[in-house]
Order: sequence, then structure tokens, then C-alpha cells
Amino acid sequence: MSVLAEVSGNVTAIGYGLAAIGPGIGVGIIFGQGVQAIARNPEAYGLIRQNMLLGFVLTEALALIGLVAPFILAGV
Amino acid sequence: MSEQERRPEDDGRDFADAAWSAPSYVLSGIAIYGGLGWLLDRWLGTSALFPIGVVLGVVLSVYLFYRKYGR
Amino acid sequence: MNALTLLASDPDKFTPPTPQELFELPPIGGIYWLTKPVILAVLTSIIVIVFCWSAFAKPKLVPRGIQNVGEIGYMFVRDQVARPFLGKDADRWMGLLLSMFFMIWVWNLMGVIPFIQFPVASHIAFPAVLAITVYVIKIFLGVKHQGGIGYFKNMMFPPGIPKGMYVLLAPLEFASNMILAPFTHMVRLFANMFAGHMLLAFFSMVGFWFLFEKLTPLGAAVGVLGVVMTIVFTALELLIQFLQAYLFAMLAAMYIGGALHAEH
Repeated sequence: MSVLAEVSGNVTAIGYGLAAIGPGIGVGIIFGQGVQAIARNPEAYGLIRQNMLLGFVLTEALALIGLVAPFILAGV
Repeated sequence: MSEQERRPEDDGRDFADAAWSAPSYVLSGIAIYGGLGWLLDRWLGTSALFPIGVVLGVVLSVYLFYRKYGR
Repeated sequence: MNALTLLASDPDKFTPPTPQELFELPPIGGIYWLTKPVILAVLTSIIVIVFCWSAFAKPKLVPRGIQNVGEIGYMFVRDQVARPFLGKDADRWMGLLLSMFFMIWVWNLMGVIPFIQFPVASHIAFPAVLAITVYVIKIFLGVKHQGGIGYFKNMMFPPGIPKGMYVLLAPLEFASNMILAPFTHMVRLFANMFAGHMLLAFFSMVGFWFLFEKLTPLGAAVGVLGVVMTIVFTALELLIQFLQAYLFAMLAAMYIGGALHAEH
């Protein structure tokens, strides 16, 4: 089979770029919806804030796992 | 800080504090426990402890974050 | 056959700019440390000093001319950066925060000023020096206000965690505050400026190549797209440059505020 196209250079960079799309969208949704929720119901600020932070840190963790995934897979 | 002297500004400051320190918590969890796993891997000649350490670090940092700011 | 390597070596084909050619600049006049970012950093310092001198040296009760501009910047930094994080200590730290904010903003603006076009902060040494300065101030103030042992105890042993977990969580807390906080502080500024400069250079090179160097009917459309994207991204960069300067000053205020008052 002939090679039509080839990627040269560091493939892990492309991998991390792809892996960062999801968390990027996720963080955007969390803060967007969170600000909207606070604007709609300022009384529930404490509760919304907790859940916003928790969701943010879980999403952020995924992005940062993507950062170390190339190092993990380099040894396999 | 005691409860009766809390002002709205304090809430905002805590929120910014928490949100901006979240990445460094997760990164430090990955660095410390992942690094520990990596060193153990080199010492014992295994290959599984590094990923386990990374996941453990993430779990512990999220737990710490939850305990500190999530309640 | 390696198609991309062949493409890159062909003089008739477009080659995107590499980080080496964009950021490894030759020394000027044979002095090994005198490069473009160094000159721009000195120029920035002069601009900021002259600006602040002419705005604040002889303040009038009714501000006129440049004092108006200076006071808008001062009010912004005081109300958006210093007061939310430092409270009643805000006025003492305004000197540091204001000069830091102005200097980083002018550093970043160097990236879009025509014919200069190099953001100083895209070399990591410059944000690193500022971040380390803030870090030293943070530790000094923390030890001074909370005591040598008290500072580290407040930092590493936050209340509300089961006793046994401290064994696992104290090193994490230490690394987060002592190593990764200054690191992320400088990397946020550096990475944004680095990536922004790469984007602008890429799109303007696309425009230049397809419209001036190798003008073909099919390539002209790509060239026009490159020019349009350069304009759009320059506008975006202007916003990001301001935001990054604001963010750097805000995080500095946050770290200083955290050292002054123990966490609760």
C-alpha cells in the first residue's frame, strides 16, 4: 500500500492537542452555566460555587492527565 | 475567619483563590505521586507504578481540593 | 518516501515558521547577551518610568492630560486587582502591582507594534524573574506575619481533613504552594505570549507568501485568508495581552494577600 500522507515530528503534541479539546469545552460550559446560575439565583451562590469548583477541578484533572499520558506511553 | 464577619468580597476572593490554585494542586499531585511511581518503577524494574501513581495523585489532589474548598 | 520532508526542502513550497527562527534571535553588535528582547525590555522600562513620572510626579487636584490616563490605569489596578485581594493593605502594595501591570502590558504590546513585533514575555526568563520576585515576597511576608513554623503549618495542614490523610496530603500541599504555584504563574504569561506570537507569525507569513512571493490564482485566496486571519488574531492578541497583564498582577496580589492573612 502506498503512503499518501505522513505526519512527521512529535505525534504526542498532536495527541495532547486533541486531548485538550474536551476539557476546554468542559471548562467553558462549567463556568458559563455557573455564572448563569448565579445570575438567576444569587441566593444559592454558596452551593453553586462548590459545585462549580468541583466540576472545574475534575475537568482540569482530565486535561492534566492528557499532559502526562505521552510520558506514560513512552515506556510501553 | 469566623462566620459572622464574612463579607461578599471574602466569598469572591475565596472563589478566585480556589479556581486559580486548582491546576497547581492537580499538577503537584501528578508530579509527586507520579514521580514517586516512576522512581519505584526504575528501582523495582516494573512499569505499572508510574500510571498508578499518576491516577493516585489526581485522586488525592481532587480529594484535597474537595475537602478544602468544596464544602 | 517522506512527503513532508520533501515539501519542506522545496524552495517553491510554503514552509511554516519554526520556533527556532522566531525566538532564537542573533545578538546585536557582537555582544552575546544583547538581543532584541533585552533592548525591548529596557525600552519598556523607560516608557513605563516616563509615563508614570509625567502622570504622577506633579499631581493636580483636577487631573489634566496624561494624569487622566494614569489615573484610569491606577483606578483599574486598585479596584480590580488590589482591593479584592488585599483589602485594607491595598494602598501599600499599589506601587508594586501598578508598575508590574504596566510593565507587562507594554511588554506584551511590543508584540503588535509594527516593526517591533516581539512580545518580550515570550522568552520565559522575563516572566520568571517577575514570578520569582513575587514568590520571594510571598514567602518573606508569610514568615513575617505568621511565623516561620506557623506559615508552613498553615500551608501544609489545612483544617477539616482526617488526621491520617495528612501523611499523603501534606507533601502535595507543599509542592503545590512552593513549587507549582510560581511555575504556573510564569507559564501562564509565557505560554500565551509564545503561542500568540507563533500564530501571528504563521498567518502573516501565509499572507506574504501567497500574495507576494508566489502569486497564483488559486493561492491568492489562501493569501487573502491569511491576511484576514492576521487582522482577526491581532485583535484577539490585543485582548489577550491586556488580560494576561491583568491576570499576572491579580495572581501576584492573590499570593501576597494569602501570605498576609492566614488561610481559614
